[in-house]
Amino acid sequence: MKKTLWERIWETKTGYLMVVPTLAFLLVFQYYPAISGLYRSMFDWNAGLAGNFIGLANFVELFTDDEVFIRSLRNMALLTIWYLVAFVGLSTGVAVLIHRIRNEGSKYFFRLFMILPVIIPAVVLILLWKFIYDSTIGPLNAILIGVGLQDWTHAWLAEPKIAIYAVMFRNFPWIDGVSVLILLAGLQAIPVEIVESGLLDGASGWRRLRYIELPLITGQIKLLIVLTIMWGVQEYSAVWAMTQGGPIDSTQVPGMWMYFNAFRISRMGYASAIGVVMFLITLVATILNMRYIRSQEY
Amino acid sequence: MATRSESIAGGPAQRQGRGLHRGDAWRTVALGILCALMIAPLIMAIIISFKSPSQFTRVPFLPTWPMRWENYEFAVQIISQFLLNSIITSGATVIGVLLLSSLAAYSFAQIRFPGRTFVFYAVLALMMVPASLTLVPSFVLIRDLRLINTHWSLILPWIAGGQLIGILILRAFFESLPGEMFDACRIDGATDWQIYWHVALPLTRSMLGVVAVLNILGTWNNLIWPTLTLPERKMWPLTPGLYSYMEQYYTSYGRVMAGLLLGSIPLVILFVFTSRLFVEGLTSGAIKT
Repeated sequence: MKKTLWERIWETKTGYLMVVPTLAFLLVFQYYPAISGLYRSMFDWNAGLAGNFIGLANFVELFTDDEVFIRSLRNMALLTIWYLVAFVGLSTGVAVLIHRIRNEGSKYFFRLFMILPVIIPAVVLILLWKFIYDSTIGPLNAILIGVGLQDWTHAWLAEPKIAIYAVMFRNFPWIDGVSVLILLAGLQAIPVEIVESGLLDGASGWRRLRYIELPLITGQIKLLIVLTIMWGVQEYSAVWAMTQGGPIDSTQVPGMWMYFNAFRISRMGYASAIGVVMFLITLVATILNMRYIRSQEY
Repeated sequence: MATRSESIAGGPAQRQGRGLHRGDAWRTVALGILCALMIAPLIMAIIISFKSPSQFTRVPFLPTWPMRWENYEFAVQIISQFLLNSIITSGATVIGVLLLSSLAAYSFAQIRFPGRTFVFYAVLALMMVPASLTLVPSFVLIRDLRLINTHWSLILPWIAGGQLIGILILRAFFESLPGEMFDACRIDGATDWQIYWHVALPLTRSMLGVVAVLNILGTWNNLIWPTLTLPERKMWPLTPGLYSYMEQYYTSYGRVMAGLLLGSIPLVILFVFTSRLFVEGLTSGAIKT
């Protein structure tokens, strides 16, 4: 006898009960704010007031009448491209270097070392770099003076033309431990036979990297590209902690501008619109990435 | 700068010639230099943390004696309150995340209830919703729920956001467990609650550890949200706490560095106890897909 839908639902009621808490949390703290953000982006809405529906006026203002926002998009693009170079490009290089070390002891040591940037709280590194960039007592200027390059010293975080690069080049030498570990796991999963047969065919060094290893870790690289773009578009805690978007908005990024509009000048609807734009940028970037970078199976 | 890193990334590999593993020497040197540069700011912080203001003025970046341990005594007094707040908020969050995500993951993996694919995708879709979209409305929600200046303003949203990765990892693990085992339990008359608690959870202990570590890393480093929902600084967790500590005592460089170093210790301790889970968590298959 075939069971009716209701009987099946009743029989598996435990299944529903077990996901109810999860769904409740998601509805209240994720779905509701997300939908509310989309909706409120079409309002002229200040904290405490109900606000008026103004359609797409916030978005029109963002793109036609808000120079700071346009500059923040440029800074965001600059930072994101840089993060891609550092987190994906440089990390791939370091992962390959570690992978090819023969000595198991030093290989283990370097792998363990890559954890370091993960277990040092991000804010500590940001604050240490804020200190390194300090114009009067910071070690960066001290080093430059020490080697006779007085002319190169700057108030790194206070000069509008330079501050964004100071933010960008923090955490020198820019190794991202998480990326390295993810890529390393991918490299180690490549079957030895594939590398060996490649070597027999004369693929070593560069060619081994280009034709064997890179194609086989495209999955990991793709993941890192998606994560880095999402992060690059949204991240503003470094800017928040180092410059708060200044001097004269030269280090403004969309996240920081959203924060400023929402919590400093109470333009909540306008800030929501910035959030929506950031959401759309990550969405488009992710879809493009899924579409056009294919991983190879072996 | 970019050319320098490129040469490290690939250039010398060209000269490497044949063989799987030749050229250990230059690789070790290159990686060693990179590691030294990575750790340099911390060494600077350690050196400065033992200086009095006058010692710093005379010799800023080299060790000086006597070492001023009192910088650490001072920092401990201020940091400890922030650390306690972090333990409360990250601790409560991690418990909630483990409970909720293991329950939901068990249900998704082992109970064939009608509509479960749809519900699962409804959960998964939230991976695509970035924090930037929800920041402003979440703040208004917390305000309307009258949770401002309570630690619940951190814990509840963090549980909601943190359970996604937990569900993904644990569901994959529960699905990999042999189904016959669960069927045998059911034939013996065990309810799904009993199977979840007595069979599934004990088997998944190390995966729960991975989820816990990832979750703690995520909440621990949250800088901006707590400053919005907690007007009183004494409520702040460690990450914003360290920021405000540095703002407040910026010119007492020794004290600032001592505070930043002390603030780094809890995660290091966590790492020492869970290093295997750390590496597993960061490289596990669940994150790759």
